Amino acid sequence: MPLPDEAAGGNSVAMTSGDGANGGGGGGGGGGRGHHQGAGKLPRKRFYRARAHSNPLSDSHFPIPISPDEVDLSQHYPRYFPAGEGESRDGDAAAPRIRFADVGCGFGGLLVGLSTLFPDTLMIGMELRDKVTEYVKERILALRASNSGMYDNISVVRTNSMKYIPNYFRRAQLLKMFFLFPDPHFKEKNHRRRVISMQLLDEYAYVMEVGVIPEELLKADPVVKLLSTATEEADHTIARIFPLQAKAINFQNKRRESEERRTSRTRVSEEV
Amino acid sequence: MEDATVEEAEVSGAAEFAPALVAAHPLGHSVAVAVGSELRVFDLKDGSAVSLSDDSGGGSHSDAIRALSFSMNGLLFASAGDDKLVKVWKTDSWCCIQTITSEKRVSAVAISNDGLYVTFADKFGVIWLVNVGQSDGGQGSTDNKPVPIFGHYCSIITSMKFSPDGRFIATADRDFKIRVTLFPKNPLRGAHEIQSFCLGHTEFVSCIAFTCLSQGPSFLLSGGGDSTVRLWDYINGCILDTCQIQDKVGELLEPNETEDSNLAIADICPTNDGSLVAVAIQSLNGVMLLACDFIAKKLSFIKVCLFG
Repeated sequence: MPLPDEAAGGNSVAMTSGDGANGGGGGGGGGGRGHHQGAGKLPRKRFYRARAHSNPLSDSHFPIPISPDEVDLSQHYPRYFPAGEGESRDGDAAAPRIRFADVGCGFGGLLVGLSTLFPDTLMIGMELRDKVTEYVKERILALRASNSGMYDNISVVRTNSMKYIPNYFRRAQLLKMFFLFPDPHFKEKNHRRRVISMQLLDEYAYVMEVGVIPEELLKADPVVKLLSTATEEADHTIARIFPLQAKAINFQNKRRESEERRTSRTRVSEEV
Repeated sequence: MEDATVEEAEVSGAAEFAPALVAAHPLGHSVAVAVGSELRVFDLKDGSAVSLSDDSGGGSHSDAIRALSFSMNGLLFASAGDDKLVKVWKTDSWCCIQTITSEKRVSAVAISNDGLYVTFADKFGVIWLVNVGQSDGGQGSTDNKPVPIFGHYCSIITSMKFSPDGRFIATADRDFKIRVTLFPKNPLRGAHEIQSFCLGHTEFVSCIAFTCLSQGPSFLLSGGGDSTVRLWDYINGCILDTCQIQDKVGELLEPNETEDSNLAIADICPTNDGSLVAVAIQSLNGVMLLACDFIAKKLSFIKVCLFG
């Protein structure tokens, strides 16, 4: 039908002109824009390939909102924040806010999947790589064009989430944050490149709402207890605050292991 | 009671010299000046220079001093700099009671209001805390090792201050951010609860200061490389007022000096009763005075005092 296509086409044109300003500020990404598809056609990954790693320590060359009030929601979610009345809606207390954040969203798979599961929740993906962000933008536009009324609640922004999360979100604004990638950085000198670190956990805690998961569920989940006993961050904290206790725990574990080895050996020899 | 004014004057000449620093005792007893690696103290009551002594076994600073701070009650004084040392002094005898080694060069230092802890920050944005309380030396070396309590991610900390009620510690960095963190009763475990971020500066934040009436609300003042002085409600992270310095100073400087980079705020210092704020501006050979109105929550320009 010609009419929905025109409307969709008009929509995507308005979006890309806004995005062009964003992409221009980001520099690079020429490969992505050169292969701009017609409305509704999904972008092809092969034209948006980028290196897997991008340096999070370097200064940014992309525009950053000075504070959460300056995040232009009409660019990301035009259906919820029509461009004309953008100013008045941003200050509105009842206006919807971004509730889910996908840190390091990559090619946008999680966002696209969550969009239909939580159709009334605004979500944003944060990605450091320029080309990959362009791909996700094109993908969202194409999905919006070919599925009218859907995928209006997701968007992506090119940013360094390790430095600029407080610029995008107010205190206790988010319900969920997703970090779906391994982040090993084994060497001690690279530990500061980790997205999950003691320092940054403070900031993630600040932007997340308290009390979202009920107490009983937290108690029932076996992972929660292990967070404070079986993670590197826990080890650092324990060793720093309770050095004697940490040594004692270590000693107990080693003793238990050697005892188990001894008993299993005797059991085997008995069987034989 | 003397008004405590702090200025930071640029040493004229080569850019590799560290700026000279001045700090005044909160009760007006003395003034400390750091020029490069040399620390000099002048006793205002006696009207004479003070000779510093060192009990902690180290020498004087060997490289440029980057930060000075008196504690709120004036009993302790801390100096730190590029030689990776933080020296803590008692202000009655001007004797250095403790020298702490830092892993990196120190860019900011502060003493907690109860005088028990000294915090210092390095180029990577990590804030360290060390216990300088009156425990005897044999308590154990673990008590006196600096502990990282929080950090700004990979950003130089330019200024660090404790709030007047001692509940918060505010830190400013070069990525335009000011973070206000709850300072816990047992800070050795870390200061993980963020109260607010004061975001609004469009350039590096160079200096912050708390200001308050004797009884009443307190606010945070900040100055930055964007030539503005801002007043904040730091509990909620809201900006209350912004004062653009450029227009006020424009006519006083030569036309070629009014580029943005030259009009950065170098330091700010409110008076003890909070009514006046002294602002030091780069390239301005003088001090600007602003009035701080707590009821209207506004900053207003009063005058510029030029030297010479």
